[in-house]
This record gives sequence, C-alpha cells and structure tokens, in this order.
Amino acid sequence: MPADPNMKILVVDDMSTMRRIVKNILKQLGFNNLEEAENGQEALTKLKADTYGFVVSDWNMPVMMGIDMLRAIRADEKLKKIPVLMVTAEAQKENLMEAVQAGVSNYVVKPFTAETMQEKINKIFK
Amino acid sequence: MAQPQAAAKQQSAVNDDDQDEKAPDTKLYEELGELARFIDTTMKTLSEFSAPVNASTEQLPQAQTHLLNLKTQTEQGTHRVMLEVEAIQDNHAQISKMLKEMTQTLQQAKVSPALIQQMHTVGQTLGQDDKRLLDIMTALSFQDLVAQSVNKLVTILDEVEHKLLQLVVVFGPYQKQAAKTDQGKASEMLKQLEATKNTSMDQDLADEILKQFGFN
Repeated sequence: MPADPNMKILVVDDMSTMRRIVKNILKQLGFNNLEEAENGQEALTKLKADTYGFVVSDWNMPVMMGIDMLRAIRADEKLKKIPVLMVTAEAQKENLMEAVQAGVSNYVVKPFTAETMQEKINKIFK
Repeated sequence: MAQPQAAAKQQSAVNDDDQDEKAPDTKLYEELGELARFIDTTMKTLSEFSAPVNASTEQLPQAQTHLLNLKTQTEQGTHRVMLEVEAIQDNHAQISKMLKEMTQTLQQAKVSPALIQQMHTVGQTLGQDDKRLLDIMTALSFQDLVAQSVNKLVTILDEVEHKLLQLVVVFGPYQKQAAKTDQGKASEMLKQLEATKNTSMDQDLADEILKQFGFN
C-alpha cells in the first residue's frame, strides 16, 4: 500500500540534529505530519496516545533503546502493525539480525543519503 | 662415676634437640622478615606512582567536560547550518511555485516556446540545487556520529578515573610526601582549553578594541 502523505510519522532519536535531518528528508518526500521523541519511552507514550502511520527510530538512546521500543511496539495489540524503520550507526551484522528478529520493517545505516532513505521508505510502502 | 657421665650425655642431647628446634624457627623468622621487607619495598615503589596517578584523576574530569562541550559546540554549529539550509529550501519552494504559475501564464499568453523552455531550465536548476541542499543536510549527520563517539569516550574516561581512584585509595597512605609532580603536556593542553573558554572574545569586542588603536 503506497504511503499516505498525510499519515502521522514519529521520528525518534536522542540527537536533535538527527531528528531535524530525518524530518527534513521526510518533508522533501512530501510528508508534513511529523512528530518527534527523544527516546523509546517517550515514543511509546506518544504512539499509544495517538494514531501514527510510521516510525523512524535510532537504536542507541537513553531511557529506552530503539530495539526495546521496537519489541514493545510489536508486542502491543494497537501498535504492532506500524512500520518501523531503524536509522542507526549500529552497523554490525548481529544488530541487523536482532532488529529483523524484533520485527523491524527496514534498516538504514548512518551515515546515509536521502536517496537511501527514500528507497527504504518506498520498499516499506510499496 | 658412670652416672654423672650418662647425665651429662643426656643433657648434651637435650641441648642439641633444643638447637634443632630453634633453627627452623630462626629460619622461618628470617624468611618472614625478608618477605616483609620485599612487600614494603614493593608498596613504596608502587606508591611512587601515586602522585602522577593523582594528577591524572584530577585531569580526567576536566577532559570529560571539554569533550562534552565539544559535543554541544558541534550540535549548535550543525543547527546553525541547518537553519540556513532550511531557509534556502523554503525560498526555493516559493520560487518553484512562482515559476510554475509564471510558466502557465506565459503558456496561456502563447509567448515564444524558447521563453517557456528557459523557464523550465530555471526550474530544473532549482531542482538540482534542492538535491544539493538535501545532500548538505544528510552530510551534517556527521555530528550525530561525533556525539556518539564522544559519549563513548566520556564513559571510558569515567571508568578509567574510577580505577585510578581505587589505586590512589589503596596506595595513597604509603606516600611519604605529596609532591607536586610535573603534570606534563596534558595539563598544559587543559589550561589552554580553559583559557579559550574564559577569555576568547567575539568579533564585536575585537573591532571595538581595534578601533581604539586606529583601525577603521
């Protein structure tokens, strides 16, 4: 199903600069309904309080890591179907395997280009 | 007559036994004494490291603070660049919109196709610049990687500091005198970093001072 340009997207990263970059790329791709969270815990609170169509998340964050947030999303009846794209500096094979086993929708390794992100988003929403 | 001789022999045997019992004791005490001297010498030798270790434990928190400041400075600088890039992107979006409207108007007015083509070319050039702006934005993600590395370094320094402190606590009492040791290049670097923080001036102040010296 193609991506709905009006869907609410949650960008999760402890670095404000990274959140700004991801939001900018999403805006250039036509997505303007964007929210932010600084860690997995804050993200889960927002996801449970509203309706989101997509989550873009970092791995290493304080309070709650992205991978733990992902597991919590997949374990929640209301949230489990939300696509989750991990955008992370964790480039080891083991991390990728762990994310796949946790139910990630796709995986982008930092540093990345806007084209790579667009490609991954297109694959998720084809 | 035989009895006193036998008694003397018996006494001599008893004395010999006593000496044999003492010999192992003496040997044991000697060895214990040597061991104690060895331990004392070793502890004194190790305690000679106490002063430089102490100096390092004082420097480490400062180094951590400077690393965290570095992270903040790169974050602020990155946000500044992003602000400008976003402003240009917004301008481009407006220009693109105006360009489309102008092209439609000109097409309706049936102007020269060459002019319409030029408008399209301008639009394409704007599009190419938009891509470059996006590339600049994504390139700024270096700051995130720097921040993550800085966080790891700070954690490592924290651990090293704790271990050094443990050493200081254990070997500290053996130090006879807390001598001020030469703290070396690290201390000098830290002093320079502190000086930069406290005394560096901005351009406005520099210009004021230059003006006073006749620079226009």
